[in-house]
Amino acid sequence: MTYTILGRCARTGRLGIGIATFSITVGRYAHSAKAMVGVTVSQAFANENNNQIALRLLDQGFGARATLEHLKSNDAYYTYRQIGVIDRTGAAAAYTGPGVRGWCGEVVGENYIATGNGLVGRHVVEAIAKGFLAERDADLEHRLLMGLEYGRDAGGQGTVDRHKAERSAALLVYSRDPYPDIDLRVDLHETAVEELRAVWAEYKKYEAYYRHRGEHPRGALGQEAFMATLKAAE
Amino acid sequence: MTFSLIGRCTRTGRLGLGITTFSLAVGGRCEGVVANIGVCKTQAFPNRTNDPLGIKLLAQGHLPKRVMEMFAANDTEHSYRQIGIMDRDGRIAAHTGPGCRGWAGHKEGTDCVAFGNGLVGPQVLDGMIAGFLENPGDALEYRLMRAIEGGRDAGGQGTPDAHRPERSAAIKVVDRRDYPDVDVRVDVHPTAVAELRRVLEEFKLYEEFYRGRDTDPAKAIPQDVFVKELDARRRARA
Repeated sequence: MTYTILGRCARTGRLGIGIATFSITVGRYAHSAKAMVGVTVSQAFANENNNQIALRLLDQGFGARATLEHLKSNDAYYTYRQIGVIDRTGAAAAYTGPGVRGWCGEVVGENYIATGNGLVGRHVVEAIAKGFLAERDADLEHRLLMGLEYGRDAGGQGTVDRHKAERSAALLVYSRDPYPDIDLRVDLHETAVEELRAVWAEYKKYEAYYRHRGEHPRGALGQEAFMATLKAAE
Repeated sequence: MTFSLIGRCTRTGRLGLGITTFSLAVGGRCEGVVANIGVCKTQAFPNRTNDPLGIKLLAQGHLPKRVMEMFAANDTEHSYRQIGIMDRDGRIAAHTGPGCRGWAGHKEGTDCVAFGNGLVGPQVLDGMIAGFLENPGDALEYRLMRAIEGGRDAGGQGTPDAHRPERSAAIKVVDRRDYPDVDVRVDVHPTAVAELRRVLEEFKLYEEFYRGRDTDPAKAIPQDVFVKELDARRRARA
């Protein structure tokens, strides 16, 4: 019971992922990314060890396809995993094992993977892909959120007569730095996708300020003074 | 405006960071918590490249004190940073630059270092350390939670007449695996420390279930069933 969009921005090379699920604190264990290297997810019965191995393989120069094959060969229970890998070129490889429960599968294209399990049907991953592709020139984080929102609006997790709530969600985007551009999470909430959008909208107002404050501390505005400028601009 | 504690469990060797601040999504700026290597956290006016660099230097075998010297040499704005470093053996280095605003400082305790800025005073660091040392037999994540709560209860951020709320908080604990054992966050909330306690308590109920689902998926029960059993146990207790 999870749905996920992995994406690469063809314009900037930024890599990222948006994920929502019934499990709590999904941002802890399901995925990982590294600047100019790749983005990976291991979900369903997540192998928490997979992502760090995958990033090391990608970093050594293996492509998405070979990395995915390695993850399968390295895991006695790979038939229970749902895996997605995008490498720095935008090549994407995904796998859904036969042990994964509920409706499960993926839509894979250049620069993106829409994947999920325990979903109301195939149209959810199709909607996720559509959401991701809707505004190709927008920032990657917005496109990833759009993917999640389209997936949610198409019915998301559960069965047709019984929706399963998204209780946690996460948004992660890397650019060139050794730390993420955007790393936002909702760990425990009744409508985690809505909350993630709200967290992102709030964070977005501060993003440039936080970056500037770190790079140019001399004379940096205090945060409350900065917030007063936000309020004045409203 | 942040207060943090880096701690180590001597029994298990686990390492962790507890942090809370007025800024949003602080847990997204905690890359420097790495199993079998150490913890490095830069705050106040953070230099984001410090923590990934510090982890690489610790992994190469440099001592925290030496890493701090290299940070100073590598950063023209070192005097605006507040930094805590602990290696896998519990060795500590801490720095509070004179450019940090409000009351700012750091203090070492047994197996821990507390550091903060924009605080009501040094009693916040004492509150954190006391919280951390309260139950040394507890799992490290609970000790870090108590540390953050101890800092909050000692007055936290702001000035004596104007408290500043904690709007985000996080706890990260690493053991032997190359991903965290515990990684709980609150990114935007008016009372982030209380909310983090709620998330941590809930996570601890699921922790073993999630681990089993990973290591032995063929035997895993569906999460629906697990949640029902959990609710039944909650009702029985109530």
